[in-house]
Amino acid sequence: MITVDKLIFEYPGLRALDEVSFRINQGSITALVGPNGAGKTTLLRCMAALDQPVSGSIHIAGIDVLEQPRDCHRMIGYLSDFFGLYQRLTVRQCLHFVARAQGIPDQDCEAAIVDVSHRLSIDDRLNMRPNELSRGLRQRVAIAQAIIHKPKLVLLDEPASGLDPEARHELAELFLELQHQGMTLLVSSHILAELEAYCTEMLVMRKGRIVEQVGVKNSTINKPFKLLLAHAVDNLAALLQSLPDIIVLNIEHNKLALLQIADDSQLQHATLKALLALNLPVCEFAPATSNLQDTYLQTIRHSS
Amino acid sequence: MNLNPEFQRQLYLECSQARLVGIPLVLGCIFTLSYFIDGYHLGSATTQTALILFMLITLLWGARQSIDSIVEEYRDRTWDTQRLSALGPWSMTWGKLFGSTVMVWYAATICLLVYSLSTDNQATLPLLLFYSICAGLLVQNGGLLLGLLAVQRGQSKNSSIFLVAIVGFLAIAPWLTELASPSPLNRPLANTNWYTSAIDSQLFHQVSLLLAIFWCGLGNYRLMMQELGIRTRPWVWLGFSVFMTVYFGGFIPSIFYTFSLAAFLVCSGLTYLGVLVERNDAMRVKRLLMYFSQGNWQRGLEELPIWWLSFILTLPAALQLSLSSHPLIEFSSAFHFYPLALALILLRDCALYVYFCYGKNPQRALTLSLLTGVLLYGIIPGIFKALGQTGLASLFFPLLADSATGALICALLQTGFVMQLLYRRWKIST
Repeated sequence: MITVDKLIFEYPGLRALDEVSFRINQGSITALVGPNGAGKTTLLRCMAALDQPVSGSIHIAGIDVLEQPRDCHRMIGYLSDFFGLYQRLTVRQCLHFVARAQGIPDQDCEAAIVDVSHRLSIDDRLNMRPNELSRGLRQRVAIAQAIIHKPKLVLLDEPASGLDPEARHELAELFLELQHQGMTLLVSSHILAELEAYCTEMLVMRKGRIVEQVGVKNSTINKPFKLLLAHAVDNLAALLQSLPDIIVLNIEHNKLALLQIADDSQLQHATLKALLALNLPVCEFAPATSNLQDTYLQTIRHSS
Repeated sequence: MNLNPEFQRQLYLECSQARLVGIPLVLGCIFTLSYFIDGYHLGSATTQTALILFMLITLLWGARQSIDSIVEEYRDRTWDTQRLSALGPWSMTWGKLFGSTVMVWYAATICLLVYSLSTDNQATLPLLLFYSICAGLLVQNGGLLLGLLAVQRGQSKNSSIFLVAIVGFLAIAPWLTELASPSPLNRPLANTNWYTSAIDSQLFHQVSLLLAIFWCGLGNYRLMMQELGIRTRPWVWLGFSVFMTVYFGGFIPSIFYTFSLAAFLVCSGLTYLGVLVERNDAMRVKRLLMYFSQGNWQRGLEELPIWWLSFILTLPAALQLSLSSHPLIEFSSAFHFYPLALALILLRDCALYVYFCYGKNPQRALTLSLLTGVLLYGIIPGIFKALGQTGLASLFFPLLADSATGALICALLQTGFVMQLLYRRWKIST
């Protein structure tokens, strides 16, 4: 669906995107994560053909975005981090304008407005103006504008900021529904716990580069193992480091350790045997509960 | 009904019930007062009031509306939504232009109606209607053009409306007031000398006005294409340069006229205009040089700043003028006319402006350039001249040099120095 190849974008004195390359499959929901200033917004704007990179290429559904930006505009929906709404129009007029501007015939606009406003639970606010709505409701109106024309690809920059937990949950459900309808979503966000509910892949950016692209459900990165001892052992660090095939990530109070072991059950069994052979009072040895946040932090730690 | 969505949105915004009722009410009160002043009939006070109101409404309010139609989008962060829409550049342009000014024309129509009823100079009424409507369209088109240029430069303030409105007002008000005067038909017909022809001034003005609207509209269309991400090459600017050369060439007295002189003067002016109106982006030049180094001429042309194009057009004209024995060569006892040196000074000035644009405060680039210009053109050469050091004076103002070669060397030194500074700053910026 999306192929980005060696994309370079520069601001005066700063390379915001440094040979960024990745592929995203159709129908996926990809989380775009990274620290502030990593280049997430710049990447999304380049993909939406709003900013022009120095070099590289972006293809969306076979369309060369840099050569045919208008063709790309017709098939994407984009929600900016700092989106604006027409404050002097009602929500219905805003949605009607965007629907018409996206090429929906006038007679079909009302149905499209009803559909999208129902999905985003703003159907009771259609006659209000955006400046009369809360931040969260305005966010929903902006998302409604981005998807009213049912685009193939939706680019969302921090879509959940300003939403309450209930609204975030509804948003996650909406994204999954859009995915089921065949849309591909690329979502930039800082709220990793929220992304976990729906994303299938994660792109980690750091200093303008993609440092990792991982399938969230099937991480290729080694999951950390938690080792808990019955009592503290003085030279625990030295003992653990003497074992082959493991990396000690963390030790707390000489009693609790976080180890990194390859995703191989035979190797894990051998490691447990080696730990017992060292006479360590093992009372727990199991994969540590890993979530998107762990994966992200692990990737960032690796890259730095 | 499938109206242009942008036009429809503007109608939503502009055509409120309060305005639809309020505008005729306010205008009605004003005309009632003028009716009383005229002694309970529609007389000269009403005519004057209607004309002045018309000009204020179409020129000032109209310009503000057309500028706001684009600058407000940028300021309120809704411009990206429009850029991503399926609307074409033409739909977007006319939707904004006519949609944002719909109430302006509503009010203006009332004024023109009152004028038509109150004027005792019915013979010139069609002409006045033509001029007034075209003048309003020109200024509003110019407003949209300025707004688009401001958005491209990342400016969200609409203070430039005063400039366009005042220029428009000053340029057009005399025409309209002259037409509205009691006996314009009694005056002898004036002619405009254009090349070797004497053309009826009225006809000439009318055609010029229509051409100005055409070029303004075309400029808006091209700028909108760029904003919507449609690739454009600078053919329209090239065409505009040729048109302006031909148009203004007609005003050069025939004893001085050559096509080279017209091209040199017009393209020099357009070079200055181009560097001022376009965003001077260091990264754009980087992309341009990269495309040229790859031999990707099409993409390179898309990135070519318009002032480069105008400057390139200036060079052959300057060379041709330098090689010919032109009457302007001794046009003043104090200064000489050295076209190649002038072309280099032009490059120096533009390079200076771009140098300031690449600095930390690009918004001060114009002020700093003007200040530097005053020093380079006036104060420093003046000091050396007062000291009797003409050689040093001509180093700063090469037109003071006694020979074309000397002037060329002085201009080369200055331009080389400024270009070196510019290159260093560009390297830092990129």
